[in-house]
Amino acid sequence: MIFKRELKRNLKSLIIWSIVLSGLILMTLSIFPQFAEQQKEMTKLLEAYPEPIKKAFGMNELNMGDLMGFYGVEIYMMTTLLGSIYSAILASNILAKEENEKTIEFLLSKPVTRSRIVTEKLLAVFVNILILNGVSTITSMIGFQFAKESDVPIDTFSLLIVATILLHWTFGAIAFMLSSILKKTRSILSVSLGVVLAAYFMNVMAGISEDLEFLKYFSPFKYVDAAAIINDNAIEPLYIFIMAAVILISIFTSYMVYKKKDIAV
Amino acid sequence: MKIVDIKNLTKTYKKNRGIINLTFSIEEGEIFGFIGPNGAGKSTTIRTLLNFIYPTSGSATIFGKDIVKHSKEIRQNVGYLPSEVHYYDDMKVIDLLKYSAGFYKKFNSKRMKELAERLDLDLHRKIEDLSFGNRKKVGIVQALLHEPKLLILDEPTNGLDPLMQNTFFELLTEEREKGTTIIFSSHILSEVQKMCDRVAIIKEGELIKVETIENLTKNNLKNITITFEQSEPIDFDLEGVVKKEVNGNEMTLLYRGDMKALLNKLNTLPVQDLIIEEPTLEEVFMHYYEK
Repeated sequence: MIFKRELKRNLKSLIIWSIVLSGLILMTLSIFPQFAEQQKEMTKLLEAYPEPIKKAFGMNELNMGDLMGFYGVEIYMMTTLLGSIYSAILASNILAKEENEKTIEFLLSKPVTRSRIVTEKLLAVFVNILILNGVSTITSMIGFQFAKESDVPIDTFSLLIVATILLHWTFGAIAFMLSSILKKTRSILSVSLGVVLAAYFMNVMAGISEDLEFLKYFSPFKYVDAAAIINDNAIEPLYIFIMAAVILISIFTSYMVYKKKDIAV
Repeated sequence: MKIVDIKNLTKTYKKNRGIINLTFSIEEGEIFGFIGPNGAGKSTTIRTLLNFIYPTSGSATIFGKDIVKHSKEIRQNVGYLPSEVHYYDDMKVIDLLKYSAGFYKKFNSKRMKELAERLDLDLHRKIEDLSFGNRKKVGIVQALLHEPKLLILDEPTNGLDPLMQNTFFELLTEEREKGTTIIFSSHILSEVQKMCDRVAIIKEGELIKVETIENLTKNNLKNITITFEQSEPIDFDLEGVVKKEVNGNEMTLLYRGDMKALLNKLNTLPVQDLIIEEPTLEEVFMHYYEK
C-alpha cells in the first residue's frame, strides 16, 4: 500500500531527474567521437591543465581518449553527484513529509505498524534509486554507440554502476535516517544536501592537496573513485564494507527512532 | 464489557502539560463524551489511546488489548477523525478513501458512495481544492467506511455547518444502533448533551468527573443577558440566580432555576432584548463543579 503510493507520489520527480540526467549523458557522450579524434591534441591540451586540477578530477589516471576513461571522468561525475543529490532529496522527504504536512495522523490511525511504514518507504527510496540508475545505465549504453569503437569492458562498466548505486544508497540511507529523527522537511533537506556536497568537495580537496589527503576517508565519493575502479577493475572491499555499514546503521537507527517516537502533530 | 479501560494514564511533555493520572472506562455501545476547554488534554488522551504518543506511566486497553503492544490490532477496528483533517493534496477524494480502505480487510464501494452522498461530498474533487468543512466530511467518511467497532471523534462538528451537523448526528445514531461505541470529544457542552450517554470532564490534564448526561442537565445552567429599556436599577431577585452582573441597562445572569419562573418574572419588566444561551464550559466549571 504505502510502497505503491510512494512510487506514485515520487514518479513525477523521478521522470524529471531521469530526463535531465539522460540528456546530460547523451549530450556528453555525443562529443566523444570528436574528442577521441583529436585525442592527441587533446592530450596535450589536458597536459596543460595544472596538476592539482587533473588530480582533483581523476584526469591524470584515466585515458580520456578511451571510452571507458572518458566515461569515468565525464559521465561518472554526473551520475554519482547528481544521483546522490536526487537520493538525498528523495529520502529526506519521505518520512518527515507526513509529519510536516500532518498526514501522519491519518496514516498512523490505520492498522499498520510503524516498522511497516518505515520498511515500505525505505523500499520506495531504494527502488527509485535503482530505477534512476537503470535509466542512466541504459542511456549510457545508447550513448556509447556514438563512438566508432563502442566496446567497453562489461565487467568494469558493471562495477562502476554497482559503485554508483552503493553510493546513492549510502546518501539515501543517511537522509532517510535524518527524515526519521527530524520533523521539519526543509532542515532535513539542507542537512542531507550539505552532507552530499561536503563529501563531494572533501573528495576534490583530497585530490588537490597532499596535506588534505586524509579527507578522502570521510568521502564516499572517494570510495567509488572511477580511476581506482577502472585501473584495478575492482572496488576496494574496505570501502564496500564502510558503505554497507553506514547504510545498515542508518536503517537500524531509523527503525529504532521511528518506533519509539512520539508523533504528535 | 469495557471497550476502553484507562488506568492512571499519564503523559507529560517537557514543556506542555499533558494528562495526569486519568482513570475511567467506556462501556460497549455507549456514546462517551469527552469534554473540556481547549488545551485540557482531550487530544493528548486520544493520541495516547491510538499510540501516536507513548504514555509516560499508567496503562490503557481497548477491546481488552494493550494500547501500546497491540496497537495495530486495535486500529483494525477503530475509526478515527482528527480535529484538524490533513490529507495528501495530490489525491482526489476517492483516491484517499480507497487508499484508506486498502489498509483494512474490507472495502465497501457501495457504503462509500452512500456516505458521500448523504454528506453531499463530491468524490472526484481534488482534496487540495476542498474547503475546511468538506475536508472534514472526507474525514468522516474515512472514519466510518470500514464499519469500526469503536469510533474516536476529536471535535467532529468543528467546521461543519448546522445542516451537516444534523446529518452527521444521524449517521452516529445509526452507528450506535449497530452497536458501535463512540468517543466524542468537544468543547461545546450542548452538542455533547445532545449525543452522549456519559461524559468525562477534563481540565488542565486532570479528570474532574465522569457524569451521566442526566445529572449534567438536571442542573441546567443558562447564560442570560437582558437589555432593559432604561438603565434605572431594577430589582431582580429570583431563585436559581447563581451570578448577577449589571452594566448600564444590561444585566447578565447565570441562571439555574425554573424557566417558567424566569419568563413570568421577565413579563413584568420593561425588557427590550433578551439572549438565553449555553454558558461556556469555564462558567460551568466555576459555578457548578466547584460547589
